[in-house]
Amino acid sequence: MGIEQLSDRLGENVLTTTLGKVVGWGRANSVWPAQFGLACCAIEGLMHTAGPGFDIGRFGSEAMRASPRQSDLMIVTGRVSQKMAPVLRQIYDQMPEPKWVISMGACASTGGVFNNYAILQGVDKIVPVDVYIPGCPPRPEDVLNALMILQEKIKAQGIKPRI
Amino acid sequence: MTARKLPSGVVAHGVIAGAEWISVPRERIRETLTDLKSQGYESYVFMTCVDHLATPTVEKPPERFELVYQLRNMKSLEELRVRVFVPEGDPWAPSAHDIYGPANWDERETWDMFGVRFEGHPDMTRILMPDDWVGHPLRRDFPVGGEVVDFSEDHEVWQTAPPEA
Amino acid sequence: MSDTKLEPTRSPGVTITRERDVGGDVLTVNFGPQHPSTHGVLRLVVDLDGEVIRRVKPVIGYLHTGIEKQMEALRWQQGVVVTDRHDYLSPPINNLAYALAVEQLMGLEAPPRAQGLRVIMSELTRIASHLIWLGSSGIELGAMGVFMYCLRDREKILDLNEEISGFRMHTSYIRPGGVTADATPRFLEMLDAFIKEMPSNVDEYEDLLTHNPIWMERTKGIGYLSAEDAIRLGATGPMIRGSGFPWDLRKDRPYSGFETYDWEVAVEPGCDCYARYLVRIKEMRESVKILRQALDRLPGGPVNVDDRKMLPPPREELDTSMEAVIHHFKLFTEGYSPPPGDVYVAVESGRGENGCYIVSDGTHKPRRVKFRAASFVNLQAVEHMALGHMVADMIAVIGTADTVLGDVDR
Repeated sequence: MGIEQLSDRLGENVLTTTLGKVVGWGRANSVWPAQFGLACCAIEGLMHTAGPGFDIGRFGSEAMRASPRQSDLMIVTGRVSQKMAPVLRQIYDQMPEPKWVISMGACASTGGVFNNYAILQGVDKIVPVDVYIPGCPPRPEDVLNALMILQEKIKAQGIKPRI
Repeated sequence: MTARKLPSGVVAHGVIAGAEWISVPRERIRETLTDLKSQGYESYVFMTCVDHLATPTVEKPPERFELVYQLRNMKSLEELRVRVFVPEGDPWAPSAHDIYGPANWDERETWDMFGVRFEGHPDMTRILMPDDWVGHPLRRDFPVGGEVVDFSEDHEVWQTAPPEA
Repeated sequence: MSDTKLEPTRSPGVTITRERDVGGDVLTVNFGPQHPSTHGVLRLVVDLDGEVIRRVKPVIGYLHTGIEKQMEALRWQQGVVVTDRHDYLSPPINNLAYALAVEQLMGLEAPPRAQGLRVIMSELTRIASHLIWLGSSGIELGAMGVFMYCLRDREKILDLNEEISGFRMHTSYIRPGGVTADATPRFLEMLDAFIKEMPSNVDEYEDLLTHNPIWMERTKGIGYLSAEDAIRLGATGPMIRGSGFPWDLRKDRPYSGFETYDWEVAVEPGCDCYARYLVRIKEMRESVKILRQALDRLPGGPVNVDDRKMLPPPREELDTSMEAVIHHFKLFTEGYSPPPGDVYVAVESGRGENGCYIVSDGTHKPRRVKFRAASFVNLQAVEHMALGHMVADMIAVIGTADTVLGDVDR
């Protein structure tokens, strides 16, 4: 009696999956960015994306933590100067695993308009980058698109550790 | 132009693109600025340096570095530019930070970017570049830097100093 | 007085040094370059006696971009793109300073329609810049809802920017010789709708903040800067107008036709953060007034100066005129060359006096371009304004100075 009824109902209420998928789904839908606004891209990429027009809260990311120790994602929004590069590396090191980096805008990806002595020609010279967003500055929708691509990447990673 | 007494020691005087300028020798810059401030030019707009290395103009400037001070009289709304020429081999000038407060950071920036030292400044250190940076970036013989762009005509310009490019 | 200095930890994020001073313990705290409330990558090394600020030393340079060197390597017309990016909250105003400087050196003046469009873009940008200031000041002092309201209205301004130039933020719309392109009819309609609804939105912000007891507690009496100190320290913009001194470059040294519009300078006698807040709110209202007048009497005509040595000929002429082809070739390979000389032009941005000093040696690239940044000078006033306050008021003081680090570091 009991077990047959239970097993019928179990079909509706129980999902079978792998641990990796569950962990990936949980991580992907609550990516907390660190507030790392450097320059113009911060206005578009952090402020406007978190604002009412292009709400990043839909994706679970409105908790932009001030402390890197509480965040998963570093969106490098803006140009990285010679003085700022060690600070950026330090903040990246202070983030606990698992962590990801989105390089937003042309300046963070490749140095952008500024091909000179003062700007690091791409933040991937010092931190590993997962998603690059071109643009100067990119629209907030581009940032949301990058976040969605990152979410796919996170789900695919599952529980495998990153070396 | 109102009848205003030019400070003593002015070497040259002129008008360019509607703006009046005077040129004073380096030793008299503090007197000139104090004199102008007492005449009503209380507002300091900016101070910067221009590097005339290998300039192609017909009238060559007397020295390589030219310090430019822009002062403004807020009551009569007049502006005046003060030029000081600083030689390349002996790049120093007296500091004006106690005459005009905002000159403090402008002088640090000029030291950082051009290598012109200001005697009497309380904190003559780099302000924009890291403290261990070598070189003075805005000098014309400091290359623009950055990455070489392959197959680009401009990459020679970027990587070599402007007079040779 | 024994020297019991502990070794500071060597990390750019936090440096804490304890010294035994005569007056008690002084704690040196680092408001690091990565901080949610410093309006960009500003680093402040603050000496605290308990919670009271004894000394503030700003350390800048974390966003030094080498813009001035970059412009020496680019041609005169290419430099417009780079001017957008130093004060990144008001790009058209930066463009305007550079464009006016180059035009003054070349002895040209933009046609009346271009001047009207320049005024429209300047004022829209001023409102956008003040909205970001208001939103981030609100969110730093705890009023998070204001941020959302301000961004809602800023989205409309960015839509207007996109309509007229294709870019939301760095428009590069105002160029030496005029403006990039004429305003579309849709832009004029959108602008009309924006002007009609903006005053009631400013009323909303005032409802939220002006008589709010918490806001008044946190901003009244904080960051005192008298008018004499403001002039002595070179502060401009709302920093000096909030101290009762009515200095506004649009009235005192007008440019681009600002003298023909009917508006008032926003001045408040309070000398504190609250007064500067009232000044900026009033400036938003006055900007809407200017926009109304500029839109109503926007003249017809060309939007670019008709000088073939500066701006390229229309494409149709290239079929028939050899001279047009030569001009086109010269302009796109080499670019125009202003006569040798130097000029300084200042415009009023949301922060204060934003000026451009250019030196030309007669070639197609500048010899020196210097930006007189309002935030660079206003930040020196912050050292003075924060003394004697508590640590939490440091945030209010930085917020009221409205510094943009791109402007400070260039």
